Parts: sequence; structure tokens; C-alpha cells
Amino acid sequence: MSAVGSDVPRVDGNAKVSGSAQYTADIELPGMLHARALRSPHPHAKLVSVDVSKAAALPGVIAVVTRDDLEGLNPYYGAVVEDQPVLAIERVRCVGDIVAAVAAEEREIAEEAVELIEVEYEPLPAVFDVVEAAAPGAPIIHEERFETQAAVFREQLNLNAGGNVCSVFRAADGDMDAGFADADEIFENTYRMPPVQHGHIEPHVATAVWESPNRLVVHTPCQNAVGLQEQLARIFDLPESGVRVVVPFVGGGYGGKTHARLEPVTALLARKAGRPVQWVLTREEVFLTGRRYGGFVRMKTGFKRDGTLVAREVEVFYDLGAYALSGPANAKTGSYVASGPYRVPNRRLTTYAVYTNLPPAGPYRGVGVPHVAWAYESEMDRIARHLGMDPLELRLKNLLQEGDIFVTGESLVSVGISDCLRQAATGIGWRGREEQADNASEGSLRRGKGLAVIMKSTTTPTASAASVRLNSDGSVMLLTSSTEIGQGVRTCLAQIVAERLGFPVERVTVSAPDTDVTPYDKSTSSSRTTFHMGNAALRAAEEVREQLLEAGAQALEVDKADLELGAGGVSVRGVPDRSLTIPQLLRVKYGDSVGSIFGSCNFQVKGGLDPKTGKGKAAAFWFFSACAAEVEVDVETGKVRVLDIATSVDVGKAINPLQCWLQNEGSMLEALGAAFFEEMVFEQGQPVNGTLLEYMLPSMEDHPERFQSLLVETPHPDGPFGAKGAGEAVIPAVAPAIGNAVANALGGVNITELPLRPDRIVAALAEREAGVSGEK
Amino acid sequence: MRHLITATVNGRERELSVKSSQTLLDVLRDDLRLKGTHEGCSVGVCGSCTVLVDGKPVSSCLMLASNAEGRDVLTIESLARDGNLDPVQQAFLDRQAFQCGFCTPGMIMAVKGLLNENPKPDEAEVRDYLSGNICRCGTYVEVMAAIEDLTAKPQ
Repeated sequence: MSAVGSDVPRVDGNAKVSGSAQYTADIELPGMLHARALRSPHPHAKLVSVDVSKAAALPGVIAVVTRDDLEGLNPYYGAVVEDQPVLAIERVRCVGDIVAAVAAEEREIAEEAVELIEVEYEPLPAVFDVVEAAAPGAPIIHEERFETQAAVFREQLNLNAGGNVCSVFRAADGDMDAGFADADEIFENTYRMPPVQHGHIEPHVATAVWESPNRLVVHTPCQNAVGLQEQLARIFDLPESGVRVVVPFVGGGYGGKTHARLEPVTALLARKAGRPVQWVLTREEVFLTGRRYGGFVRMKTGFKRDGTLVAREVEVFYDLGAYALSGPANAKTGSYVASGPYRVPNRRLTTYAVYTNLPPAGPYRGVGVPHVAWAYESEMDRIARHLGMDPLELRLKNLLQEGDIFVTGESLVSVGISDCLRQAATGIGWRGREEQADNASEGSLRRGKGLAVIMKSTTTPTASAASVRLNSDGSVMLLTSSTEIGQGVRTCLAQIVAERLGFPVERVTVSAPDTDVTPYDKSTSSSRTTFHMGNAALRAAEEVREQLLEAGAQALEVDKADLELGAGGVSVRGVPDRSLTIPQLLRVKYGDSVGSIFGSCNFQVKGGLDPKTGKGKAAAFWFFSACAAEVEVDVETGKVRVLDIATSVDVGKAINPLQCWLQNEGSMLEALGAAFFEEMVFEQGQPVNGTLLEYMLPSMEDHPERFQSLLVETPHPDGPFGAKGAGEAVIPAVAPAIGNAVANALGGVNITELPLRPDRIVAALAEREAGVSGEK
Repeated sequence: MRHLITATVNGRERELSVKSSQTLLDVLRDDLRLKGTHEGCSVGVCGSCTVLVDGKPVSSCLMLASNAEGRDVLTIESLARDGNLDPVQQAFLDRQAFQCGFCTPGMIMAVKGLLNENPKPDEAEVRDYLSGNICRCGTYVEVMAAIEDLTAKPQ
């Protein structure tokens, strides 16, 4: 193998360093208008009246849309539950809900017009805390809901659980009463994680134009072009072929651009205006448009004195905000891994996806897993400390192994988790039990090391299709709806195709998503692309290869098995001068030296879980990672410095090791931000820190002094060249590794709520001084 | 209200009619169609809109266009010459010092500014200087490596 497994330079590199890469906001269409929206200032209110007459009369305003413009449309949309109106209808459910939108000749005019819209609201009781929202008697946020057409999700989720609980998912094994009765000790604790921003530097943006009344074209940096196409078709009652979604370069996604966000309103404005409309969200609006779910976790663990886990009961509440997006699916992803990557014979794991009157959340790298990992990996260190065991040994003792039957009933394959943990621990010089020993040192600085290990599923069942076109000059085009969001998917897929054809990578061009041209893909999410689209691309390339070999066998009168395909064409193995070039092969096949050869594949993975039992096949593949960190805490100020951090991921096979490194580095930094300072703060539903002035993202100064991205390669039998996914693997392990390092630095002071702000650390230390330590 | 200003943009002297409220970023993107400079936060903290004004990095989203009168403005589009990348661009490419690429033009212009001021920055100086250029993909190690490559070469 040559193309696969090497650090092939990014195929999109030149465009990105030269500034010529075209992002959605760079597109200017003739006659294009600019959009601005009026958003709700209330977290929950009845919409009494909306008067846009003054705005519509402002010179330069071409279209204003409100709920009155939804006549004849399917006004509600959503990936799992159709609960979000294109524009607020009878009420607003969060600060930032879109009430009206304006398209005008200039941005300033659109802004001025928005100021002229008069709205009367009648405030309603609101609820912001996820546990309160799930309780009986909470103000109801959605009186009625309609399930989506997306049958895959509908059939596998327990929707409409009642009240504000949008969905419940449960996975279970064994007998809880017997399990806890069997335990020598029981720990019970709660953990919290606040909402955080995806932080993609490119804001959400869309450009929409109607080519005719039955033909909508949208340019948008969407991670899920086909899903968006389906949703827009349904809203506007068009066949899917009546909607074309084109994805230019994407300025970061991290899950935040997976679902329809501003595209429905942009399309509605463009239809009314009869002209192209571009809408670029302000950063303040981005804060009201998507985020990671806040979460609350209750965890009860029964264990033996030798460290064996025997029972675990977990309840998790994910705060969806006002609309579900893929929340129920993401909460399901958190459920079956809520007891961690451990053998636990008795367990009951329940996740609730709950509406609140906060702006909507959505999938963010790791989806529901960081919340449960923060809890179960903090617990593992508490248990180790209590038992006087090495936290590494405690984990290794309980970790899942190859072939184990998981709580979902499936047998686990390609389980490199113990190697990941050992590798990460070794990476920072883990010494064993003494890492939890008392750590008295001079001055105010204390050092500590911490570990964490996680597993995550990829969304299943799903499909990805690809087609490969070989041109007569030997160049190759891969048509795919997978989105390059920075993760290097174009390069990775080019490597896979080149490898199968024996061609240099430079000969393979990988398309951007364009639903007129590129075939179906479930979405660029869940770390699924290398595995699913990689398989589709590999098999599509295989079809092309077969056709070339068949043509060669016919013309050279040899068996196909005696031929090899390479950069120059087909040749007889060991007899290089008995060969045919690509144009010659086309002539054999078509009687002409021009034309092209096509190969295609619709790669599908069956599976899914029975929502009643939680059993079935949760994942086409599982991924595993570990993180080990060393920190230095200043006990006077509560400030923490990360001295060393190592991550290890079982990627199956690294198609491009450098891009794997970059994925892990990026995941580590995002998670580091969320561990130390990132949190979206709301007061009565109003954003308190909703700009990048008040909400910090990690800068170069926050990058740890030392970072290692380590890889384990446990080939997956179904993966392309054995590969699995890597995009999200690191993120859930980082915060608990850092939290455990901080706890070990402080001699066992556990902080259960993220982020680990200096004031929380100082307060926890003061609490211990006062003799009311939170330690169980 | 509009002002007529004269500024040099990417080596060419321009007469520009700008509104009082217009930022340099808006003039570059909307009027001169130099789309390589990106808008991320609009409040001068993400660094995506970084350009050089008289050789120094500036957040073009915070600078009023009218203040560019008589100044020398360089954007990412000015760097490559005759199809050859600037050494900073080439170093970014060699080190794969980007992922999604949205912050990259601003980051590259900031590195140009850094090396203009300090041809041999140490790691602490690099981290400090570039702390206003946010890469959410997190490709900082590679940016630092690219700068090391550039400063290690004999001048």
C-alpha cells in the first residue's frame, strides 16, 4: 500500500492558504439581497400580533416574511421531531426564536427595517433547568408535536414521552436489586455539564435562489446536504429533486452545521422577493442557533472491594432547548455507554431528552457521550482512591475486551481500548498508585496526573453512496455528498480511491456535495465518513478496476488474475511491456478511445436498537479513546496549567496519520476549552455571554505545553483497509482526564460541575478546609 | 455620509468612496471583492479578518475604512506572486497548518506581521502574538512548526 497510510498532503491545501477557497458568504449572485431577522426577546411568550407594514414600506426592502407567509407550506421541520416552525407561529419558545425576516438591497437597510417591525407578546411561564423541565407541573413548551418522515429515527426512538420529555431511551442488563445487594460498597453522585458553543469561526450562512416556482437552489456550509434537501423539499412541498443543495468550502462545523438552521427562512425570503437572498448570521445570532446540550447525570455504582464493578444505575437529562433537532438520537447515543466502556453485569441506563426554554442545542462532536464520560470517569477515580487502587489498574480490570457482549446484546469487534489507555498513560509517565498519593509541595503549586477512557458508537443503521468516474486521460472523479469540514475527508477519500486503482493520489479529484450530482449520504457526522463513505468509494473504485482488468484480459488474452492495474494502465504481472494504456482499454471496451468508466456503490449498514428493549446492533463500528493529562494547580488562585496531555485513539487503520493527529489535536483543544472556561451562561433564558468578547475559545496561549496524539490500530473487519472513525473519539475523554488530574493534584478534591473554573477550585478547597468535603 | 479616500490596496493605489460607518473589512469584501479576508466575530477577537496596514496586523472588522486614508493595506490575495506562494503560505502548506481554512488567511497575515516585527520570535512570543487569531480546528502546533521552519531558514 502506498496512498493509504501515508501523510498525503491535503488536496484542498493550496486553495486554503492562498485565500481563493470560496466559502458561502463569498458567493455573490446577480441581484442578491441581504437578510436580517427579528428575534424574540422573550424565552416563552404568546405571539399576539406582528405588524411589518412600516418595515415593508422602507425603500430598499424587497420582502418581509412572518407567520402569514407560511400559508400552503409544511411550516414545521426537524430531523427527528417536526417541532420547529420556519417562523414563530402561535408563540415563541426561546430568546432568539425567529419572528420575522427582511430581505433588502443592503444589509443596513435590512437592519433598519427590522427595527420598524412591531410585535406584541404575552409572556408565558418558562423553564430553564433541565431537571425542573422534566418534572410534572413544569410549563409545557410544545403542546403538540409531529414526528418526522425520517422513518429510521422514528422507529428507533421512544418519542412523545409526555410533558417536556421529548424522548426516553433505556438500555439494561441483569438485576439491579441483586447487583447492588452483591456490592461491597455503593457510590452515588451527580454531575453537571453546561451548554457550550461549537465555535465554528464561519457563522451559519446560506444563499438561496429560486430558479423557477418549483426549483430551489441553496448554497450553504451544511454537513448534511441530503438531509437538508429532504427537509426543504418537505417544507416547500417540492419533490426532493426540486431542491438543489450545494456545499462550498465550510469554515468549521463540529456538528453545528448538521441540520437545517437558517436555510428555511432564507429560502422563504428568496421566494417572496423573487431574487437571490444571502443571510449571514451575526455572532450573537450564532449563539442563539446551536450549542452542545447541557446535561445532568445521576450515577449510582456498586463495586466489590477488589474493584470489580457489579452494578450501575444511571439517569441522564440532556437539555435540548426549545427544539429537538437530532436530540433524541443523540441522547440514545449517550444511553448505552452511560456505564462506561466496562463490564458491568447489572445495569440500568436511562437518558431523557428534555425541552427547555433555552435556545436550541444540537449535535456537537461527541454528542451525548461527553456528559456520561465526565460522570463515569470521575467516579472511577473516586472508587480507586477509596480502595487505594491504581486508577489505571482499576480501569484495566473492568474494561471491555474483544468479543464481549455489550449491554445492547452485540458482540464487540476491534476493541483496542486497553491499548489506548496504556499508551496514553505511558505517554505522560504514569507511575501507578502513587499518582493519588498526598501531594504536599512547597508554595501554592500542586501537580497531578489523571486518566480517562471512553467508547462511542457511530450512528446506525445508515447508508452512504459514491460513484467513481474514470476519464479517458486516466484522471478520476469521486462523486460524494460527504462534506469537507476541515477534517480532511477529501484527502482521505482520494487516498482510498487511488489506493484501489493503483494511481497517484493527485489523479483523484473529490467533489463537494451538490445534490443535483452527488449521490445519497446520511450525513457528515458521527465520525462515520471514513468508514461508510470510505467503503462506498472503495467499492465504486473496485468496480472501475474490474472493468479495466476485464478489458485488459480480453485484449491481452490473459486471465484477469494475471493482470495488474497501475498509473500507466493495465499490464501483465511480470511482463511490463505487455500492457495497455487507459485510452487503449477504453477502445477495447467501447470501440473508441474517449468516454468514461463508471463505478458506483450504495454502502449500507443494517442494524439499530429495539426501543423497547435497547437490544440490537447499536454501531456499525465502535470507537475507543483514552486521555492522560498532567496539570499544575495553584491552590491560592485556582488557576490550572496543563503541562502534558496525551490522547490515544483506536482508529482501526490510519488512512492519513497526520490528519488523524490534527483531528485529535482539535478535539483535545475544544474539550480543553470546555473543561476550563467555556460555558454558555443564561439568566432567565437570556444569554449573558453571547459574543466572542465574553465567551472565550482556546487560543494558542491555551495550548498545552506538551501534546501527543497517539494511535492504536486494531483493524476493523468491515472498515476500508481496516479503518474506523476518528473525528470525535478524543473529545469525551479530555475533561474527565483533566478533572482527575486536578483532583489528584489536590489530594482528592472532586469538582462535579464543569467547567473547572478557578472560583470552583478555590471554593472546593475551602469546603474541604471547612471539613465538609464533597468526597463520598 | 460618504468620504473619498485614497489608499494603497495590495500594491495598487485606489480612490475609494466609503461610508462613515463602513469598516475596512466591508470595503475589502463588498467593494473590492477581496473575499479571502473572512469575518468571524465582528468584534475584533477571532482574528479571521486580519490584514496588514502599513505592515502591522489589524482586525479589519474594527477599523473604519475612512481611517485607511493614505495607508498601505495588504490582504492574503497580495502574497502569491506569479503563481508562487509566499514563504509563509508555503510553510503553512508544508506543515498542514490548517483544517477548515477559514481562519487561515488571517492567521497567515498575522504571521507576516509577526515576522516583520520580530524575525526570530521564540515560542512564548509566538503564542502571545498569535493569541488573537483563533483556530477552532485547533491547528496551533502546526502553525508554530511552520513559523519555526521560517525562522530556522537563513535570512
